[in-house]
Amino acid sequence: MKTSEEINNHIYEILKTVMDPEVELNIVDLGLIYNIDFDGEKNVDIDMTLSTPACPLGDAIVLNVQESIKIDYPDFVVNVNLVFEPLWTAALISDEGKVKLGM
Amino acid sequence: MNNLQTDNAPSIAVVKPHFIFGGVSFFVSTLLMVLADTRLLGPYFDGKIIAITHIAVLGWATMIIFGALYQLIPIVFETALFSETLAKVNFWIFAISISLLSYSFWVDAFLTLLLYASIMLLISLLMFITNVLMTHKKSTKKNIQARFIITAIYWLLLTVILGTLIAFNFSYNFFNELHLHYLKIHAHAGLVGWFLLLIIGISSTLVPMFFISHNLKEKKIKYAYYLINLGLVGLMLDWFVYSANKLAYFNWLIISVGIILFLSYSWDAYKQRLRKVLDTGMNQTVISLLLLIAPIGIAILLLFEFNIEQNFLFRATTLYGFTIIFGFITSLILGQTYKTLPFIIWLEKYKKHVGKMKTPMPKDLYSETLAKFQMYFYIAAIVILSLALLLNQPLLITIGSYILLASAIVYNINLFKIVLHKTKLEKLK
Repeated sequence: MKTSEEINNHIYEILKTVMDPEVELNIVDLGLIYNIDFDGEKNVDIDMTLSTPACPLGDAIVLNVQESIKIDYPDFVVNVNLVFEPLWTAALISDEGKVKLGM
Repeated sequence: MNNLQTDNAPSIAVVKPHFIFGGVSFFVSTLLMVLADTRLLGPYFDGKIIAITHIAVLGWATMIIFGALYQLIPIVFETALFSETLAKVNFWIFAISISLLSYSFWVDAFLTLLLYASIMLLISLLMFITNVLMTHKKSTKKNIQARFIITAIYWLLLTVILGTLIAFNFSYNFFNELHLHYLKIHAHAGLVGWFLLLIIGISSTLVPMFFISHNLKEKKIKYAYYLINLGLVGLMLDWFVYSANKLAYFNWLIISVGIILFLSYSWDAYKQRLRKVLDTGMNQTVISLLLLIAPIGIAILLLFEFNIEQNFLFRATTLYGFTIIFGFITSLILGQTYKTLPFIIWLEKYKKHVGKMKTPMPKDLYSETLAKFQMYFYIAAIVILSLALLLNQPLLITIGSYILLASAIVYNINLFKIVLHKTKLEKLK
C-alpha cells in the first residue's frame, strides 16, 4: 500500500505526461498545476489553471488529466477545479520547462 | 463541472467548409493573376483585377474569417452560436454568390449576372449578420473584442450595400459622381472598416495567446478602436456628403495613429513572448503586421499625388490594394491557418481519446517544411510583384504571379492534409 503522500507525488508524475498541445510542454513543468489534494480515500482534488482563460484546448487538457489518473487509479474520483486566481504567468514555468522551451 | 468555453464550440461541419472554400479561392485568385498577367499593370478598375480582388477579399479572406468567427465568437461572447443551421445554409449562398460575382466581373457581365450575384451576396450577408447579432444578444459578456467584431460587421454591411448600389448603377445610372468615387468609399469601408477592425479585434486576443504574453496594455487597442472608427466616419462624410477630399489628410493621420497603436500592442506581445523561436505560423503573422506599414506610406503618395503621371498613380493604387489584400490580410490568414485549423481538427478527432490513447499533437497534422516553403514563395512573390508594379515591369509581373501561385498550391496541400487527416491512435506505453 502506498501512503497518501506517495499517491500525491505519483499523481504529479502522471500529470507530467499530460501535454499542453499548443505549448508542447507538460502541464506540470508549465506550472499549470497549483495544488493536488488526495483525501486518503478515493477523491483527488486538483486546482489547476490554463495559460489563458480563453484557451480553446482547455477541456481537452482537463479530460486528459482525469483520464491519465484513471489509468493507474481506475476507481478514483478526480475533481479538477479551474482557477484563474492567481493568473498564470511565465514565472511559474519550472527550470526544466524553461530549458525545454529554449527560454 | 467546468464552465469552459469549448462547451459552446460549434460543430466542425460549420467551420471546415469555410476553410476549404477559402483555401481553394486563394488558389483561384492567384491562378487568375497568372492569367490576367500584364493587365495587372493597367488601370485598377479593370474587370479582371476587380474579379481577382473579389475572389481574394470575399472567397479567400472573408470566407475564412467567417469560419474562424463561428469558432471564436462563442469564446469571445461566452455563449453558443445562435443557429448552426443558419450558418450552414449561409455558407452555400455566400459561396455561390461569390463565385457568380467574380465570374461576372471576369467576363464583364456588369449589366446582367452581376445584379443577381450582388443581391444574393447581400442576402447571405444579412443572414450572417442576423446570426452574429442574435448570438451577441444572448451574451452577457461585453468586452472590447466583441465591440470590434460587431462594429466590423456593420462596416461590412455598409461595404456590401455600397457594392450592390454600384452594381445596380451600371444598369440604372442614379449616382451623381463617377463610379471610381464610390469605389473608393466601398473599398475603404471594406478594407479598413471590415478587415482591419476585425483583425485588430481578433488579434488582440489571439496574438498574446499564441505568443503567450501577459499584462498587455489593452488601452492601446481601445484607442485604436476609437481612432480608426473616427477616421473612417470622417472619410465617409468627406467623400459621401461633401464629395471632397478636404479632410483626407486628417483622416489618414488618425487612422494611421490607430494602426500604429495596434502595431505597438503587438510589438509588446512579441517582445514579451515566451517562446523565442517562432514557428512558420507565427513568422507569417509577424510578416503580416510588418506589411501593414506599406499601405500607410503608399496612401501618402496617393493623397498628395506630387504631380506624378497618371499611369504611375494607377499602378500605385493597385499596389495600395495589393499590399493590404495580398500582403497584410493574406499573410495573416496564411499564418493563422496553421495556428487554428490543426487545433480545430485535432479537438474533433482526438478530444475523446486524450489520456486513454497516444494521440498526435496538433502540429503533426501538417508539414512544417511545406509551410516554410509556402512562406518563402510568398515572401518572394510579394517583393517581386511590388517591384513589378512600382517599376512597371511586365516580366516581373509574370514571374511574381507564378511564384504566388506556387505558394497557394503548397498552402492548399497543407490545408487538405489537415482537413483530410485520418485519426491515428496508438496504445499508451
